[in-house]
Amino acid sequence: MHTEGETTDNQKTQGLSDPEQWVERHGDYLLKYALIRLRDTAKAEDAVQETFLAALKGGKTFQGRSAEKSWLVGILKNKIYDHFRKANRETSFTDLEFYSDEESDRFVADGIGQGGWIHELGPQEWIHAGESLDNESFWKAYRDCAGKLPKNVAAVFNLREVDGIESREICALLNISENNLWVMLHRARMALRRCLETNWFGKHV
Amino acid sequence: MNFLSKTTAALKAGLRSLSPTCRDASRFQSETLDHQLPPAKRTGLWLHLLICKWCRRYGRQIRFLRHAAQANPDELTEADPQKLSGEARERIKQRLQGEEKN
Repeated sequence: MHTEGETTDNQKTQGLSDPEQWVERHGDYLLKYALIRLRDTAKAEDAVQETFLAALKGGKTFQGRSAEKSWLVGILKNKIYDHFRKANRETSFTDLEFYSDEESDRFVADGIGQGGWIHELGPQEWIHAGESLDNESFWKAYRDCAGKLPKNVAAVFNLREVDGIESREICALLNISENNLWVMLHRARMALRRCLETNWFGKHV
Repeated sequence: MNFLSKTTAALKAGLRSLSPTCRDASRFQSETLDHQLPPAKRTGLWLHLLICKWCRRYGRQIRFLRHAAQANPDELTEADPQKLSGEARERIKQRLQGEEKN
């Protein structure tokens, strides 16, 4: 049997992490995580703050820093989803004007071979593509290319490609049809591939 | 007349599935990353990829980019300046301290 004060002391001796330490230990990582998905510093900061507040109420003990971090990231994910649900109610989510031609100028327009790649304009060979992943300049190029995607499309793209959220779940979250989602992802992938080919792979032979 | 044009449209759609253009195939390949294609499209895509090296390349490249992103999520934002600003850091700490007292 413990009084309120004694319980708190026991929690401290058990190693309940000090919330003030959370900000120092995990704040930057959580911010980066939120920024990829929300693309807005103010919203990302809010999400991080909400995460810490929810974590405070949660009150858990951990064996180690990485378990603590995973737990916080789990809370943050939900805060990010909440943001998308809210945003979906407030704004229209179709971004289909984006790249609406789907590179139509790179396919044969009509006649024989219509719809086929115009060979000189089709996908080029990427030499030693794997080695690029160790190169900081490649990642800068990647970030620049990803940065050209419209904000909504980028958010969806990250949810799917990086977080691996299933199509159905994204559609439920954003209230869009599966077909809409697939078209968006197709255009995003096509644009990203094209941009990296032009700005990186095409230049590093 | 209506029946005929509907049938023709359906046949054309079926043919597009079974014999996609590169343009269609690039869309189908993207979709395979998100869900399983219906049988006709799946077969059509497979047939197309047998003979089209450009589309095979396209598929390899979009899959490569997906794996790259999944394997390196930390690279997707700048190392700097994506840290909590001093101001944000203080603000959040204050807020947490306020809550703790409650």
